[in-house]
Amino acid sequence: MAAYGAAEALRAAGCDGSVTLVSAEPVVPYDRTTLSKAFLQGQKTVEEILFKPAEHYQELGIELRLGQRASAVDFDRRELVLEPGERLPFDTLLIATGAEPVRLRLPGFDLPGVRYLRSLADAQALREDLSRADRVLVVGCGFIGAEVAASARTLGKQVTVVDPLPVPLAGPLGQEVGSILAEVHRRHGVELRLGQRVAELRGHRRAEEAVLESGERIACDLVVVGVGVRPAVALFQDSGLPIEDGILVDEYCATGIPGVYAAGDVANWWHPGIGRRLRVEHFDNAAQQGAAAARAIAGDPQPYAPVPYFWSDQYDLNLQYAGYPGPWDQVVLRGDSAAPSVTAFYLRQGVVEAVVTINRPRELRPGRRLVEARARVDPAVLADPSTDLRALAQSVRQAE
Amino acid sequence: MTAPEGYVAVKRYDEIPEGGIVPFEVNGDERILVKLEGKIYALSGICTHEYAELAEGDLEDHVIYCPLHGSGFDLETGRVTALPATQPLPVYDVRIVDGVVYVSREPRQG
Ligand SMILES: Cc1cc2nc3c(=O)[nH]c(=O)nc-3n(C[C@H](O)[C@H](O)[C@H](O)COP(=O)(O)OP(=O)(O)OC[C@H]3O[C@@H](n4cnc5c(N)ncnc54)[C@H](O)[C@@H]3O)c2cc1C
Ligand code: FES
Repeated sequence: MAAYGAAEALRAAGCDGSVTLVSAEPVVPYDRTTLSKAFLQGQKTVEEILFKPAEHYQELGIELRLGQRASAVDFDRRELVLEPGERLPFDTLLIATGAEPVRLRLPGFDLPGVRYLRSLADAQALREDLSRADRVLVVGCGFIGAEVAASARTLGKQVTVVDPLPVPLAGPLGQEVGSILAEVHRRHGVELRLGQRVAELRGHRRAEEAVLESGERIACDLVVVGVGVRPAVALFQDSGLPIEDGILVDEYCATGIPGVYAAGDVANWWHPGIGRRLRVEHFDNAAQQGAAAARAIAGDPQPYAPVPYFWSDQYDLNLQYAGYPGPWDQVVLRGDSAAPSVTAFYLRQGVVEAVVTINRPRELRPGRRLVEARARVDPAVLADPSTDLRALAQSVRQAE
Repeated sequence: MTAPEGYVAVKRYDEIPEGGIVPFEVNGDERILVKLEGKIYALSGICTHEYAELAEGDLEDHVIYCPLHGSGFDLETGRVTALPATQPLPVYDVRIVDGVVYVSREPRQG
């Protein structure tokens, strides 16, 4: 994703040097976010999820090295080593390797019928397995797990979701919003096993049942694991690049090594607006940060200081988030939690740090403006359904 | 009042509020009119990413944002200013004759 954003932005910035895009995946850049949603449900084909067809890169004069994994990098000689041993020289390197699913090392998780979801190939294999499965077990109720559960239910499968948290997604979204989402899944017929862990999987040739730590046994013919991701940094482990929960970069996407940049899920960057480091694992950040890195490479560096944004679609529910992840001390809800049609504001010491809308898209951008302005708003005003959020956001903007 | 050749009448200019997004249809095609700083823009009403009605979207700095996943389209040209959409939004020509807003039947080319 970040690589695509960068490639477009490089050319848009007038950079006419030679550009090569190396990807381990044998396909041009595509919209990964559909893999757990429309693509998994069979509503979209591979062609439909590509950002641009292959010819587009030809038009931009960008060389594609698809299906080629980089295995090492030599910063002294400024060469990237590809898996068969070929060495690609570079002046500038943009690292956009993304993230990889965390693998569960519990007994039975090496059986066939256990799937992870990150790449198109993963999604194709999962789609195939889903078409033959009746009972699906989802391990982990993060965004990917919740979306896969929703897609599997939409396809008419029996779905059980196990998560050690008593309220799913409470980390990023808090108890209030997490509970609303849990209720939506229950209402759609998903069996939730919250506050519980899988101890092992059993089966003869494939995973056939899960045993929870409580002793409960859950029969299944497909297991999907979504227990989080880790930045994909293995390639750079001994390269001398500073790594700490991702590749450390500054507000211009630059690493400590001249001419070497990082963007997207893999980048842990200094956000000058809030004065701390962030690493964000979402689409919009990858697109924007890739473009920001490209501008820096093209000689027009501008501090990258966005309000992070993401969405998640589950069933016909649309959730959007704009804000800074991190601690808050108050959550203010506005709207109807049961429908649900609700907006949540996350406040820290009275300042709006983040906003989440569930089926209330019109309040997202006004809410985002409040976050951007680091506004202090009376919680009662935020909760009051008669408050015109647009007007409020406008007045805050003008007061700046 | 007859419409200029290739145009359809949509609404009186005065009936469109400043900063407003007004949906309308041409032969079942959903479109929107936007009035910003007095100027009228006409664009397709459906996001080019997935299915979302842009009449429910939001305006900021001459960009219309999709309500579902935040794609941005330049009001003037339909160019994508923010992903996930990658296809530009079709835009239509606007003419105002005797206080009535007319919009071209066919999208503007290029
Ligand atoms: C199923 C799924 C659903 C998602 N849904 C949403 C959503 O609804 N909303 C949202 O905001 N975000 C969503 N995301 C997150 C979003 O897709 C990611 O944040 C985004 O793709 C990150 O972009 P990136 O460029 O950093 O990494 P990636 O898109 O992962 O791209 C990294 C690329 O680098 C390649 N690569 C890695 N190592 C090497 C190597 N050594 N050599 C060569 N190539 C290599 C990888 O194969 C991959 O092609 C979703 C993610 C997944 C997996
Ligand atoms: S439908 Fe408009 S951005 Fe996705």
